[in-house]
Amino acid sequence: MTDKRRPAESGEFQDPLENYDPKIYSDPLEKALAEESVAAIQYRPAAFATPNTPIHKAVEQLANLHVACLLIEEEKRLIGVFSDRDVLDKVALEFDQIKDKPVSDVMTKDPAFVYESDSSAAALSVMAVLGFRHVPVIDVKHKALGIISPQRVTTFLRKHSLG
Amino acid sequence: MGLYENIRSERVSRLSLRDPVVVHENATVRDAIEAMRLNQLGCAIVTDRNRVPQGLFPESEVTRLISKNSAALDEPVTQYLKTDWPTVSMTDPIARVLEALESHNVRFLIVVDEQGQLAGLTGQKGLMEYVAEHFPGQVIVQRIGGNPYPVEREGA
Repeated sequence: MTDKRRPAESGEFQDPLENYDPKIYSDPLEKALAEESVAAIQYRPAAFATPNTPIHKAVEQLANLHVACLLIEEEKRLIGVFSDRDVLDKVALEFDQIKDKPVSDVMTKDPAFVYESDSSAAALSVMAVLGFRHVPVIDVKHKALGIISPQRVTTFLRKHSLG
Repeated sequence: MGLYENIRSERVSRLSLRDPVVVHENATVRDAIEAMRLNQLGCAIVTDRNRVPQGLFPESEVTRLISKNSAALDEPVTQYLKTDWPTVSMTDPIARVLEALESHNVRFLIVVDEQGQLAGLTGQKGLMEYVAEHFPGQVIVQRIGGNPYPVEREGA
């Protein structure tokens, strides 16, 4: 038995973390996925709208801001997202009939999200496992803080994969 | 080998490629949108007779068109085709996909074979799945969404 692993019965103070062997990762990206939080992935700026925003205004907002997704908040709580995919699937061919209706009619309700303190792997999991492209980042009060887009994850992956 | 080495040595053909939505060059924007909806894909590709890609029509362009003029739905899709869309070859290393996605800020990449003919489609989703496959212990097991703690006490 090495001195490092001597038992506590010796009477001397023993730091319980003394015997802790840090996890060894096979890859820098694996380490980043496990140890870096969502905050390590850029999630701001983000664009917001309210649920009663008319659909045509929300579409204009997406186009004018050159973003692919709006965070829809009601009373400072995230209730949905409205993305390019919602425009394609629910709005594009019906636009003239529904453009004045509220965006809440066509948004994606109750989207999968991550907390700011979650690991960066959690954001990747939402994309790779659930297939959602845009992952809202929220705080404990369910207020949206920002959004993780595939582009932002790609930048994170590149930073940790290509050196 | 770790991901660092793998993305340099493994080829694009190793990614799970998606079947592209191909529309005729005479198709309208409406036709392209209907095909994209039917196939649940965010882009459509126009090819020539030899299946060489002529350009890509992305869903972001749908949003832009609708915001400006919804009458554009009945115009030819070729008017709004992105003809300089980046392509990767089946034999390119996966690192090339990562670089192309970031440098062009796009979601999809057209994959071509050695003859330059359309072979498939890849992009951010394929890349995420590839990373998840490498690190299932980190990525697949994550709690997703929902409340991290039980709202009510469990049991008696």
